[in-house]
Amino acid sequence: MTDILLNSKLGRLLLNYWGIILLIAAWQTWVYCADLNAIVMPSPIDVVIDIFSNLGLYLKNGTLTLVLAVVGLIAGMFVGTAIAAIAWTSRITSGLLVPLGLILSSIPIVALIPILARLLGYDIQTVLAIVVIISFFPAFVFTSAGLNALPPGSSDLFKVFGANPVQRFVFLVLPSAVPSWMIALRLTAPPAVLVAMLAEFLMATPGMGGMFRDSLDDFAMDRAIGTSLIATAVSTAAFLLATYAEGRVKDRWS
Amino acid sequence: MLDSTNQTETAIDIEAVSRVFRLNNGKDLTALDRIDLKIKEGEFVALLGPSGCGKSTMLRLVAALDTPSSGSISIEGSDPRDLARDHRLGVAFQDHALLPWLTIRANIGLPYRLAGRKTDDARVASLIELVGLKGFEDSRPSQLSGGMRQRASIARALVLQPDVLLLDEPFGALDAVTRRHMNVELQRIWGENKITTLLVTHSVDEALFLADRVIVMSARPGRIFKEMQIPFARPRAPEVQREARFHELVDELTLALEPEGH
Amino acid sequence: MRGLDHNRLASAIYGLAGVILFLLLWEFIGRNRVLGSTWPAFTDVVSYLFDPRRNGLFQRASTATLSKAAGGFALGTFLGLVTASGVHVFPLLRPGTDRLSSFLHSVPAIALAPIFLIFVPRDFVGMAIATMNAYFIVYIAATSGLNNSTKSHRDVFTVLGASRLHRLTLLDLPAALPPVVTGLKYAVSAAIVGAIIGEWFGASRGLGVLIVSAMQNYQISLLWAAVLIITVVSLVFYGLGTLAEKFIYRRFT
Repeated sequence: MTDILLNSKLGRLLLNYWGIILLIAAWQTWVYCADLNAIVMPSPIDVVIDIFSNLGLYLKNGTLTLVLAVVGLIAGMFVGTAIAAIAWTSRITSGLLVPLGLILSSIPIVALIPILARLLGYDIQTVLAIVVIISFFPAFVFTSAGLNALPPGSSDLFKVFGANPVQRFVFLVLPSAVPSWMIALRLTAPPAVLVAMLAEFLMATPGMGGMFRDSLDDFAMDRAIGTSLIATAVSTAAFLLATYAEGRVKDRWS
Repeated sequence: MLDSTNQTETAIDIEAVSRVFRLNNGKDLTALDRIDLKIKEGEFVALLGPSGCGKSTMLRLVAALDTPSSGSISIEGSDPRDLARDHRLGVAFQDHALLPWLTIRANIGLPYRLAGRKTDDARVASLIELVGLKGFEDSRPSQLSGGMRQRASIARALVLQPDVLLLDEPFGALDAVTRRHMNVELQRIWGENKITTLLVTHSVDEALFLADRVIVMSARPGRIFKEMQIPFARPRAPEVQREARFHELVDELTLALEPEGH
Repeated sequence: MRGLDHNRLASAIYGLAGVILFLLLWEFIGRNRVLGSTWPAFTDVVSYLFDPRRNGLFQRASTATLSKAAGGFALGTFLGLVTASGVHVFPLLRPGTDRLSSFLHSVPAIALAPIFLIFVPRDFVGMAIATMNAYFIVYIAATSGLNNSTKSHRDVFTVLGASRLHRLTLLDLPAALPPVVTGLKYAVSAAIVGAIIGEWFGASRGLGVLIVSAMQNYQISLLWAAVLIITVVSLVFYGLGTLAEKFIYRRFT
């Protein structure tokens, strides 16, 4: 029996997704049996219908959140990498910044959003700032670690071959940090989307988060669930993309 | 090409060199104690000794990776650091230290980039052939075996035609069979250029087969215990390892390495 | 007998210096209103926090949030360990459980809250979300950790004729302990975050309630004070977790 499961395409699909399928089936059954009002809990079918009949609305808000997440992610990783490079040049700056960075990165994002909202106002720039911040710290921490994880013996090798500090940084240190950088990317991409949505929710600004809040206020549970599912899908897609990219880089780099 | 009978110039002059390390708990460790050693141009010298005898420390001092606590080292009259800066040193370590993201060809050609010179593709290709890696130019280090990686590491060490070749247990991580094979190969490769070479090893067979002179060191503190001139003619065929004289010398050196022998 | 390690001491001093510099910068920005009225001075926040009149408020809020977080952490850890052990003993179930857990983890926490509201009272939504967060981290750590033993270990157990249960309790669970402890360290922070998000959906008291109401009512000092509490608490638990982690790794590896 296990052979059939492992060897056929359908079997593998079942093996992987029985949990999710069971969940959806249970959901549908519960709504049907408990005869729940759609305001309390819609069925999976209701949610799908809402998504497809309001595609434009979903797309508009989904794209906004996604764009904010991507732009914030790139900016944050860039800043994090730059500061890691600067910190790396001197043991003093590294010693000062890395512990501080670790501490600041353990401020829960749910606490950071209200502070930033008051600081920068209830608007898109705050959402962007939040994503930049959560992308900055992993990039900083991982790149700092990567800059120090040189292939064994390579540091001595470069010294004996008479490389100057710039050559050492460009030919050895930066390339060594790339795998760590990809890990940081994989870890940060999914939360970037979800955090953007969280910020939008808290501030009731446009995007997936705002749409979610509006649907709660309107008691449109089908839309609320639809929004959540789309956000989940986007976040999962970001994770898969980043994982794929990381795998490709790993093949080439090690 | 240097005639082996004309080795009168001193290439590496190690004079009264000591290296003392201060440990974290405040105590001193004398890794090297007043070492005197003169290595002639084109000579292949092996530093033999148990772990902790300071032989790697000695190599690092010659490679300008460290400075002596007292005494002096000069290579062809200059400070080792000057030679390193002028890209005139070649080194191969026990960990091959090939850059995993570059192809074999790019790895071997790396010294050119570091020296700011245009890469001589012909020379890189001829070295790849010399070390027996033809066909693997575009592979990455992870796709090669341990022995092949060491060949690439040695080719890289030779690519700029350095004045001095430094080898720190290059075959230490290989199995015994591959290691014997690599020794034969190294002998062949070295024979083409006869560069002044300092080899650090703890394998008696390796030292005897490859070197013109074997220096036995003792540990804590590191001192030269015994010096042996190797009588076998060059080029050395692998069969020399089966001669009675070879076995005698192996026994003599193995005994010298025993702790009670000091 | 290990002497004083100069390197570690230097690192600690640098780290402390970095933090102090940051606090000084914070104070400077606040005092001189460099970033406006929404960034108060560090000393102002601290004095607001420790003002005796507000002790009760902060105490009640902290207790509420931390008890939800603790409950969620405990329940989530338990469920994570049980599920991970289950799929370890019945590997056929693993892919489906992995996918389901990942799916639930990638649903935004705010989306889970209204669903939980259907099943649990308002004041338990925080604990429910904390449970979800802790569960996922512990599940991942445990499933990976239960496979930590080497082939040689497993072969020895096979040759000795160990039962499935013995294999689980005497080999796999101890081998999994180090990564699980690391997971627990992160699960604590995740549980705190989960508790706070849950509180935004109508809880009667808690730090999450405090933060949102302070944000909306422009009570800057209250906002910063509450955030300071949350940060310090998270750091303290993370530090304790790191100590536990070091201890376990020393004992078990």
